[in-house]
Amino acid sequence: MHKLLIGAEEIPEIIRAVAQKIVDAGFAGDCVLVGIQQDGVPLSEKIADAIAGIAGERPLLAKLDISMYRDDIGKMRRLPLIRETEIPFDINDRELILVDDVLSSGRTIRAALDAITDYGRPALIRLAVLIDRGNPEYPIRADFVGRRIELPADRRVAVRFAPDDAPGVYDEPWIERHPETKE
Amino acid sequence: MQWNRKDLLELYDLSAEEIELILDTAAEFKKVSQRRVKKVPALRGKTVVNFFVEPSTRTRVSFELAEQRLSADIINVQTQASSLLKGESLLDTIKNIEALRVDLVVMRHSAPGAQAFIARHLNCGIINAGDGAHGHPTQALLDIFTIREKLGAVKGLNVTIIGDILHSRVARSNLWGLLKLGANVTLAGPSTLVPREFESVGVKVCHNLEDAVADADVVNMLRIQHERQTIGFFPSTGEYSRFYGLKAETLKKMKPSVLVMHPGPINRDVELDSDVADGDKSVILEQVTNGLAVRMAVLYLVAGCVKK
Repeated sequence: MHKLLIGAEEIPEIIRAVAQKIVDAGFAGDCVLVGIQQDGVPLSEKIADAIAGIAGERPLLAKLDISMYRDDIGKMRRLPLIRETEIPFDINDRELILVDDVLSSGRTIRAALDAITDYGRPALIRLAVLIDRGNPEYPIRADFVGRRIELPADRRVAVRFAPDDAPGVYDEPWIERHPETKE
Repeated sequence: MQWNRKDLLELYDLSAEEIELILDTAAEFKKVSQRRVKKVPALRGKTVVNFFVEPSTRTRVSFELAEQRLSADIINVQTQASSLLKGESLLDTIKNIEALRVDLVVMRHSAPGAQAFIARHLNCGIINAGDGAHGHPTQALLDIFTIREKLGAVKGLNVTIIGDILHSRVARSNLWGLLKLGANVTLAGPSTLVPREFESVGVKVCHNLEDAVADADVVNMLRIQHERQTIGFFPSTGEYSRFYGLKAETLKKMKPSVLVMHPGPINRDVELDSDVADGDKSVILEQVTNGLAVRMAVLYLVAGCVKK
């Protein structure tokens, strides 16, 4: 049972809005966009393109997988696959922007902060998300938000980018596409 | 692809996809050991028992370091100090350990199938760190990881395993893993140590070293296990070395891209000339490095399936 919340045609516009907010805050080619696996990675590339279009310079890109930093291993129905982490430069004293598709409980970002600080000591870290669904369980807020959506806790916001996967933002039950995330 | 096993007992049980999943996961864990902070919190709060009922240095050290890098709590049980010597049965010993609410047991035992037997009776996860001459899955996984990392893929490669195949759990685990991933496996050594029966599982058996290595992309030299040579399988170590030891002259006739592997510990100048062991074709120390990554991956995957 899923319902389309935002059509595919609106997504590029929301991405541009996030990019604009990042540029307005003074970040551009000298910052690093760190895409959180899995859906934060394609999003970080799209935001980087949009920043390049606005500011004329493209930020560096990195990929971060947070599976090894989760605090619920053994509690999930299924173990998440470990995907690639690729941070091909020194992050000490750099300005990082974590990128994820949806900010929900804040637990993924908690894990991402632990993971990224094992690679070095950045000058600052900000958070950019396409969708903020506004039910934080941890005291974590996004700095750059594309769209705010309110949904009951038992529903999941799913963002799909792949052209062959009916792109768009959907409202769906937790179990449907990510059976590993909830009992 | 999903991992769904609370135990790792033998590669024979796994599908090609499951083996690839372990190797892909290990590739990410290898990066952890190359970082400034070489530790992740994945197994924080989990307790792992290393239960070795047979001597081991490198495998135990490798597992222990892997556990530390995953932030697990660790207990080492050694045979000399265990109540097995007081007459307690293996199952009772392990059940007592489990009653302390451990999550995983890494176990080595001289009896083939000991881990499989224990796994049927326990809720905690069991990882086979060697059971007699039957299996040593993490050693085979690290060998295959090294081959894949160096040569790109395993499918279609010619892999020759040389030495005491009869007594070798390393050879058995390797041949199951390699066959599942589509390699061509040749087993070589004296006929007393490489029986023709192995042909029935789809490998080539060869008793001449030069024929066995001519087309090889990988040669895995096994250790002559003096401790298992209770009857004379060959006349002397010198004669074994002359016929089946890998020498620099033989290496020159082999493919330039060949990888020389050895699970260690090496008997220098018996199965492997020192020049070859330390030469540019040798990936023996990389195998050790990769062993850590593979064991981290296995511990992580198995721990994720242990339900409390």
